[in-house]
Amino acid sequence: MKIELPEAGEPVIVQGITGKYGSLHARLMLGFGTNVAAGVTPGKGGATMEGVPVYDSVREALDATRAKASVLFVPAPALLPAAEEALRAGIRLLVVITEHVPIRDTLTLLRRCQETGAHAIGPNSPGVIVPSRKLKLGIMPAPSFLEGGVALFSRSGTLMYEVADTLSLAGLGQHVALGVGGDPISCTTLTDCLDWARAMDEVRSVVVVGEIGGDAEERLAEHALKVGFSKPLVAYIAGRSAPREKHMGHAGAIIYGDYGTAESKIAALRRAGAKVASTTSEIPSLVKSAR
Amino acid sequence: MRLFEYQGKELFAKYGIPVPRSRLAKTPAQALAALDEIGLPAVIKAQVLSGGRGKAGGVALVRSREEAEKEAKRILSLRVAGEQTRALLVEEAYEHAEEMYLSISLDRGRREFVALASRRGGIEVESLAKSTKSEVPIALEGLAESDAASLSVKLGLAARTGSDFRSILLNLERLSREEECELSEINPLAVRPDGSLVALDSKVVLDDNALFRHPEFSQLAPEDPLEGEAARSGFAFVRLDGSVAVVGNGAGLVLSTLDLVADAGGSAACFLDLGGGAQRERVEAALRLVSKLPNAKAVLLNIFGGITRTTDVAEGLVRALSQAPIAPVYARISGAEEEEAHALLSGSGVQVFRTSREAVLAAVREVSP
Repeated sequence: MKIELPEAGEPVIVQGITGKYGSLHARLMLGFGTNVAAGVTPGKGGATMEGVPVYDSVREALDATRAKASVLFVPAPALLPAAEEALRAGIRLLVVITEHVPIRDTLTLLRRCQETGAHAIGPNSPGVIVPSRKLKLGIMPAPSFLEGGVALFSRSGTLMYEVADTLSLAGLGQHVALGVGGDPISCTTLTDCLDWARAMDEVRSVVVVGEIGGDAEERLAEHALKVGFSKPLVAYIAGRSAPREKHMGHAGAIIYGDYGTAESKIAALRRAGAKVASTTSEIPSLVKSAR
Repeated sequence: MRLFEYQGKELFAKYGIPVPRSRLAKTPAQALAALDEIGLPAVIKAQVLSGGRGKAGGVALVRSREEAEKEAKRILSLRVAGEQTRALLVEEAYEHAEEMYLSISLDRGRREFVALASRRGGIEVESLAKSTKSEVPIALEGLAESDAASLSVKLGLAARTGSDFRSILLNLERLSREEECELSEINPLAVRPDGSLVALDSKVVLDDNALFRHPEFSQLAPEDPLEGEAARSGFAFVRLDGSVAVVGNGAGLVLSTLDLVADAGGSAACFLDLGGGAQRERVEAALRLVSKLPNAKAVLLNIFGGITRTTDVAEGLVRALSQAPIAPVYARISGAEEEEAHALLSGSGVQVFRTSREAVLAAVREVSP
């Protein structure tokens, strides 16, 4: 699967830009240098937010800007209709920051993306950042991210920031950092990310931040073994000490029986040749020694 | 949200899935009154959400009123995996020859719902051998009758059992879709001597994020008062049985902090995620909440301030400390304006650290005997 991110300076839109969260992050994205060219909030067309024109519909916003990517901050009950509207209007990349999206809405969104050949990241994602392009489609704190050759993929937002910060302090910048989201279903999987990183020349090593619940890390490991992955791979899994059958914050972070345990993920990643850190602070030295 | 067995069975009945006659009882006297309607023999079952109920002695078959009274008393005082039994289900006992398994669950890897069935039910699904399980994927629009029929054939079911199975499967799938369940499981699904099927237990987990479309479930608030308080504050909160209350901003960060605590030889008293944009009021509310955890002997606060202003966190902390007695607080506060945040906390009694590791070691040392 190929994830097509906007080039430096290409326009993007923000759906839900007039909300408290949407406007704050539109401002921070603009501050990073990302071309937030339009916002969409039904009923607020004609307004201006952070200097950005607001439209009633995605179609109007695209007529004005020709954007291909949208960052969504709309409330969970409105997420699916907003995403479907964006896809109908021709958006090719949806970055879904919205948290608490019902599982069946996410499955429907995934189907719509497959039907249209478009791509979604999330839901419940911190977004994606490409420092070299001044591209920030999300809510991550920009100062923690530096330009470089690491691809960082994470199921958790804050851990992605913390790990990026640790890497940056150690002189290991990132070509891209992407949060797949903390929900049971992610429209972009860690396996998609691995394929993507394999194809990107700028990426010299990959860091995966996983956590308990589901089998995304096991699938990534199996895939890496099957297709071969020659770049250094470092992983960290949160939740080794978590109890079973409890949602640990993220809807997706839950162990049922032996399904979703940290041990299973760590073992699978090691089998695939990954170096697995036991704390986030070990990650930079493992990346350096793996190069 | 996981439903109790009796709540799950109410849903089963609503969707035409056969369940035994039953009554809920909260006292031994109510259990005896229920017996008058249900008759003997009967089964008395602890209504708890924790697994391992049977092994813990939470289920009893009773053949006389004396036995029923004795067992009702015993089970009402029972704790299953630390969870106190608060209610009993008194249910008619069914003679049955075989126990099957049936569920509709989310397959996270394949990103679709699947129907999973086995002729060997009555045990945990994880311990079922792969060869005994059959499954079919379910489209977003629902399960086709032909797929239900093919699953029935795969299991080798015929006559009455086969037709009951197809109807229960289609009804369970409709329930799962319409009520938006993450999991709906019948285990065991009993085969009676005449070949008919009946659901002897239920395990239903609703999609919490879909509850806005199902207001009827919103009254099912958590029974734990602290969990209720956390839910009202918008915190992700899990009560644990250790001695270090772990609070942080971000689920992954709190989860990794629990691991650091365990690695240092300690154990966590709770998992509390403040959520993004942790402001003063939220920090204050979180500290107030963990001060009510009887087993918390220290509080470990782990903040990575990205968008969150660390000075807001420090101010919230100072305010919380001025209001209520709180166990010693060890804080790792990192990020924007951290110097100012650390300065705000000097003299407050809070020990502040730059790294998670240092804060964790200090907190674990505090609670070590």
